[in-house]
Amino acid sequence: MAFLSLSFLLFFPITALGYFLLPRQVKNLWLLAASWFFYLCAKPIYLTLLLFVILTSYCMGRILDKYRRKGILALCLTADGILLFAFKYVQFALSLVGQGLQRVGIAFEIPVLTLVLPVGISFYVFQAMGYVIDVYRGGAVERSFLHYALFLSFFPQIISGPIGRAEELLPQFRTIHPFDWDAFRRGLLRFLWGAFLKLVLADRLAVLVNTIYAAPDTFGALQVMGAAVAFSFQIYCDFSAYSHMALGVAGSMGFILRENFQAPYFSRSIAEFWRRWHMSLSSWFRDYLYIPLGGSRRGTVRKYWNIIIVFTVSGLWHGAAVTFVVWGLLNGLYQVAGAVTVPLRSRIGRWLGLGEERLLRHLIQITLTFLLTTIAWVFFKADGLSNALAILGRMCYGPLWVRQSMGLNRQELIVALIGLIILLFIDLGAQKWDWPRIWLEARRPVRWVVLWALLFACLLCGSYGTGYDAQAFLYGFSF
Amino acid sequence: MLQEGIVLSRSKGRYRWWKEFAFTTVFLLLTVWMIQFASDVLRPPQKVYGSTWSAFRAEPEDSLDVIYLGSSYAYCDINPSMVYASSGLTSYVMAGSEQTLSITYWYLKEILETQSPAAVMLEVTSLFFKANQNYTQQNIVYMPFSCNKLGAIVTAAEPELRLGLLFDLYFYHSRWNEIGFGDIWRALNPIQWDARKGHTAMEGTKEGAGEVLSEVDRVVTAEDYRANLAWLKKITDLCQEHNIQCFLTIYPSYTRSRPETYARIGRELQAIAPEAIYCDWSDAFDTIGLIPTEHLYDGGHLNQEGTAIFSNWLGGFLIGQGVTPRSQTAENTAAWQAAVQEWEETEAVSNP
Repeated sequence: MAFLSLSFLLFFPITALGYFLLPRQVKNLWLLAASWFFYLCAKPIYLTLLLFVILTSYCMGRILDKYRRKGILALCLTADGILLFAFKYVQFALSLVGQGLQRVGIAFEIPVLTLVLPVGISFYVFQAMGYVIDVYRGGAVERSFLHYALFLSFFPQIISGPIGRAEELLPQFRTIHPFDWDAFRRGLLRFLWGAFLKLVLADRLAVLVNTIYAAPDTFGALQVMGAAVAFSFQIYCDFSAYSHMALGVAGSMGFILRENFQAPYFSRSIAEFWRRWHMSLSSWFRDYLYIPLGGSRRGTVRKYWNIIIVFTVSGLWHGAAVTFVVWGLLNGLYQVAGAVTVPLRSRIGRWLGLGEERLLRHLIQITLTFLLTTIAWVFFKADGLSNALAILGRMCYGPLWVRQSMGLNRQELIVALIGLIILLFIDLGAQKWDWPRIWLEARRPVRWVVLWALLFACLLCGSYGTGYDAQAFLYGFSF
Repeated sequence: MLQEGIVLSRSKGRYRWWKEFAFTTVFLLLTVWMIQFASDVLRPPQKVYGSTWSAFRAEPEDSLDVIYLGSSYAYCDINPSMVYASSGLTSYVMAGSEQTLSITYWYLKEILETQSPAAVMLEVTSLFFKANQNYTQQNIVYMPFSCNKLGAIVTAAEPELRLGLLFDLYFYHSRWNEIGFGDIWRALNPIQWDARKGHTAMEGTKEGAGEVLSEVDRVVTAEDYRANLAWLKKITDLCQEHNIQCFLTIYPSYTRSRPETYARIGRELQAIAPEAIYCDWSDAFDTIGLIPTEHLYDGGHLNQEGTAIFSNWLGGFLIGQGVTPRSQTAENTAAWQAAVQEWEETEAVSNP
């Protein structure tokens, strides 16, 4: 069930109403039933896998609490890893093996497997892995199966995160969340903002991006660069839209999920970008992979090596294809290069008279970070390495502009541009202000106008309905 | 116990839930109204090819003597103004392109909310239609929002169209960059009187029309045919319930089914609705005074001139069947006379 569907618009009020009205003893049971129903709507078979992960990680957590053995932890993590590998990476691994064998002259026909990737598997498996590692490290074990099942199944986050942490989320299932009118409105406003980002911006930009990425050779350099920039905004709008909606839905029921984004395109370095982009995943990799690998404690070379490993794995987590690996690797190299060149860049800055706190220096850093990220996104979006290289190549040669349709007419482009300006303003303002709080404290007519503006922007200028190819969330069903 | 969870926050100290509740209700009502208005603005205008609900609603209540239902055969072949000219009967075509009998049933129910016709004339070629034809969206979306529209959406529309039929913006929101003042004016004035009275005039004759007679039965599955008969029975029952004389008709056509098929249909209709009058005029060109090569637009539909002849004849036929004109207000009489004059002027221009 997608957030932006009629079924969810029916599902959510019923679920929320039930949660607030039902007696305390059955609230969580109701929430679990609703979450499983929500997940069942994707495909009934997927639920069995989710139940398997819940059961195994719950039992392993209990066992680890009694017998803190590395072997037990390894067993659990291996089981989760095999599960993830079997459903997500087998085909990719087979194709790599096949290509390798063909290079050495051994004929190998790559079998085509018809395994369907279970919705949200990358998210809930990581969440389960995080939990058992926490228990192994001495964290609190969850004794209530109901609470633990909810921790992994909670419907706002099960499909695309944010990847929750046991110490943050589990206590919330133990407490009662009475109806809070302010929290409810705040949550709904956030949901509406997410809908705006998805319907008005992400899916509109997707038309332009898909058109140009499908045939980069037929467009000019500026158009291809524009498409690459547009994709940077598309993926941000798309994924942050999902996070806003997830946090909004949970927040309206009184639950607080992890923030996932913090105006990442205002970052001044790639390292900062990754602290502000998909924060729940970045922190997961930091806590459960980077630090266990030694982090920065084992010398500079080892630190850089760890960064490369973490980002390569992160790339692989995003998708089973070489392009994702290259994307991850590139981000790792950016970070390493950024760390290595700190003294040099400081010297250049001083030489140019640009002190650390000069606005111009900040703007240059923000722009460079955005450009580097945009180049990396080309690999994320492209169908294959050759497509990615063709796109990057087209930015450097050929005509600047080719007069032909880019999928959006002038009015559509103006709407996208206005939407992006609003987004940048909101993101910039969010560094200083709590927008929902300001909205709640505003006079009633102002609050209404804001809601109507967002609602009608979605209803009138949103990409949905007959004739539209509804874009699935990029970070959604394919993860 | 059930109320345990409901504890409204009192962040500002003097929180009044009832006030919030009232304002929320007002906000929601205003939002619904604005969405409805936006839908009215963005929905494209519909003046021809059936589904002319906007104009139909401009007719005074209980002022129509006859209602014509069916598909394009109804809205192309009958001109109510010409029927009025020949008989004084006020009538209206409430048909839609390839309109299925299931939709027609809900049309009739909706019509009977404001009108009490003495006769209903249903063109029955739709017995051969599939459960869903090509124009469900157009045929339903213009119906005024009512239980009957909901009935049509639930029982007569394809599942994939239902969301859009319930929520027009789903279909038409992408027109936001096309709208002009005319669309806003139309939304503010949704009911627009129209001299055409649901009729769509077809000009001229297509090449070869009326030259070669085609008598080939339409293909329909047994399941669809049974379902169509069931809907037709519901229509005739509804007519009987409202004391309306029902005519089940086949209009003159050169692309028609075989005579024995029409005879079989006649028997079947007689069996399920003995009170209805079955009229097979498929081959009645001579009787009516129609010349196929001159009065057909294409193989199946009459052109403007043919429609005038047929409508004149139809007025006389209905009078002969005992349908009598009801008394009208002076204002409505003047409106009908104006409509007749408009058509006569149009015809004069077409055939100088």
